[in-house]
Amino acid sequence: MPAKELNKPCMECQDAEFELTVRKRQLCSLCFKRFIAHKVQSRLSVYRAFGLDGPKTQLLLPVSFGVSSSVLLHILNTDRQHRLDNGRPLGYDFKILVIEPSTVAATGVPFDQNYEALEKNFPMHNISRIPFHNIFDYVPEMEEIMQEYAGTKFMDDSTRSNEERLAAFRASISTPTSRTDVDTVLLTRLIVEFAKKSGCESVIWGDSDSRLAAKALAGVAKGRGASLTWQVSDGMSPWGVRFEYPLRDLYKAELLQYESVCAELSDIVIPDQPPSDNVLTKNLSIDELMLRYVQNQGAKYPGVMANVARTANKLNPSTTDNAPTCALCAGLVGNVKGNSGVTVANQAEDNHSSQFCYGCMRSRPEELC
Amino acid sequence: MAPTACFDCKEARAVIIRPKNRHKLCRACFIKVFETEVHETIIGTNLFFPGERVAIGASGGKDSTVLAAVLKTLNEQYNYGLDLCLLSIDEGIRGYRDDSLETVKRNALQYEMPLDILGYSELYGWTMDQVVEQVGKKGNCTYCGVFRRQALDRGAARLGIKHVVTGHNADDVAETVMMNLLRGDLPRLSRGTSIVTSSDASDIKRSKPLKYAYEKEIVLYAHHRQLDYFTTECIYSPEAFRGSARTLIKDLEKIRPSSILDIVKSGEDMAALVPVEVRGAGKSKQAGAEEESAGGCGSQNGRTSGGEMAAMEKQLTENDAAESLETEIKIPNGVRVKPNRGPTGKAVKAQTIKHCERCNYISSQRICKACTLLDGLNRNRPKTAIEVGVGMEDEESSSTLMRQMERAQLSAT
Repeated sequence: MPAKELNKPCMECQDAEFELTVRKRQLCSLCFKRFIAHKVQSRLSVYRAFGLDGPKTQLLLPVSFGVSSSVLLHILNTDRQHRLDNGRPLGYDFKILVIEPSTVAATGVPFDQNYEALEKNFPMHNISRIPFHNIFDYVPEMEEIMQEYAGTKFMDDSTRSNEERLAAFRASISTPTSRTDVDTVLLTRLIVEFAKKSGCESVIWGDSDSRLAAKALAGVAKGRGASLTWQVSDGMSPWGVRFEYPLRDLYKAELLQYESVCAELSDIVIPDQPPSDNVLTKNLSIDELMLRYVQNQGAKYPGVMANVARTANKLNPSTTDNAPTCALCAGLVGNVKGNSGVTVANQAEDNHSSQFCYGCMRSRPEELC
Repeated sequence: MAPTACFDCKEARAVIIRPKNRHKLCRACFIKVFETEVHETIIGTNLFFPGERVAIGASGGKDSTVLAAVLKTLNEQYNYGLDLCLLSIDEGIRGYRDDSLETVKRNALQYEMPLDILGYSELYGWTMDQVVEQVGKKGNCTYCGVFRRQALDRGAARLGIKHVVTGHNADDVAETVMMNLLRGDLPRLSRGTSIVTSSDASDIKRSKPLKYAYEKEIVLYAHHRQLDYFTTECIYSPEAFRGSARTLIKDLEKIRPSSILDIVKSGEDMAALVPVEVRGAGKSKQAGAEEESAGGCGSQNGRTSGGEMAAMEKQLTENDAAESLETEIKIPNGVRVKPNRGPTGKAVKAQTIKHCERCNYISSQRICKACTLLDGLNRNRPKTAIEVGVGMEDEESSSTLMRQMERAQLSAT
């Protein structure tokens, strides 16, 4: 058979026109998807290492309708379908969790159509949808923790609806940094509890490499350096559920490329809001500042930024046997073993109770900032 | 508007907003709280013992002047029983060092402390001005840092003193943490934050009692105690990573004033989490001087060439490309593989402490870094420096050195 006449063939298969350039290679969309998927699957291969009759591990995939988690879902689903079609063992299966974005973001993003598209495109999956304020149901002790955490300025009114109570608690936190910080902690806890209740061994997070770099830098800046070993690294979380970040080898830009060649995703993904130029630095949250920093610097030095997450991934998890942990975020209260620094001693002066970790104390509503 | 009363004493009029926590304080309370915090750091970390002879690395800048003033005050107030003296290094930077040394001389009189000045020209036969003339403005901080560290140690040894304190503040430490995270330098991440450095490797102990003090508060303290210090910036520029980290930290401080301290806390925790096998690896002890150099020489400008970051970017891209050429070896089904997390698989050569064959200074190499750098400088024919460069362990600076030498040669011809 004569070879196809191609102007610029894909460097991988030589059988189709190239569509995308990724890491200096020109690939067709099929080979591009395969390349991206390979990066993800090699990260999850530990869950595959069972024989035919081995147990099937359940994973939980939280989907935010952002690009990254949607692409991750697409990759995992494609792989799963492929295996089913070929009669190969699955090794693991996954459930999908949607925390209703309208209950998380202040702006109340409409997402019903996106959710419908999700159900329509991935009908074979177990998809759950819960609002943010269900945290009171999933973590029953949360009301006490919140009351203790927010201090005297905040009065929890149990006669009100969960939605109102959560809103009141979040409103008691004054700065954007603290609000984002505490929101992330609460979301993580809700997702973890959901994973536990639904029998999932691990949570697979859709954080891209760029996101992880920003998370690592922001974590350090917020005094949460000790928690990077599960907030950025793959590893066991303090709640006994493993955290995996299978997109850690992929840049955000590459995930956007993937989305652009996946028609199924176009109805699902809620596009990111472009960062506003009119915000004063001091009004940004630390997380946002770091995201911008990684984006700006990443345009010039993508490798250097990627290396930040890789560096954080090399840290050893702290040994927390019997060490007191934070009631809110489960991070270590006090110093990591071997750290003789006295920042914590300085903090004790504030007469704060010691049930919260350093990072959470900084985000408390009473902090004078 | 009625004047606000001091947050602490509730009586006097508040004239200062503390940069650290925005408390409004009167002058006396601010000075007291600043000193008390340094005292707590000293007590909390068992920094000194009674009767200890301590040399204060004095540059005449705000940090070391405040350090000298605070240590003198605390020593008298709390009876530390310390024997304090000032130790200055003359790098030989005209227009920068001459004036600041005059300040140090006045400080010595004001604080009634003996002063010893040691020059680069005396120690190495090269002033920094001459070094810059030879190598150019880029990368000269490496020379300055390496030379300075040795100079302080040698000065202390000459005075028979085993403890040198430096004026590194919380901003410097936070910068170092961010910088080491950005360049993925785990060994330095593991030691950059500790208050005492290199006590295991050297006879001379080094510490930074102002490690938790904000730069802005140091300036305020100096101002309100009307200390005599010299304001200037080193005229040569800092490296790119530090510049990038510095800008980032300034932004963070605007958002949340506590973040400088929070970064220090994170850095301390992460240092304890760096895998043991990586900690001492790679860099020799002199590298410690490098990481302190820019912060310690009082250079405040954020001018960056970006060359260092670009070089690292290139290296990382090449690594990535090489990785994609690797062949994956599949493990047959049925074998359970433990996830290999972290760099534990890599064998790391243990670092042994030796003495430099030429100057007897402590080094992990046969020839210490300062002598290696001097070799490069002393040779008339720049090409030979390339060989020296390749032989060195520190690839980063060797490539810089090479480029500079090549450039120097080109312009000479």
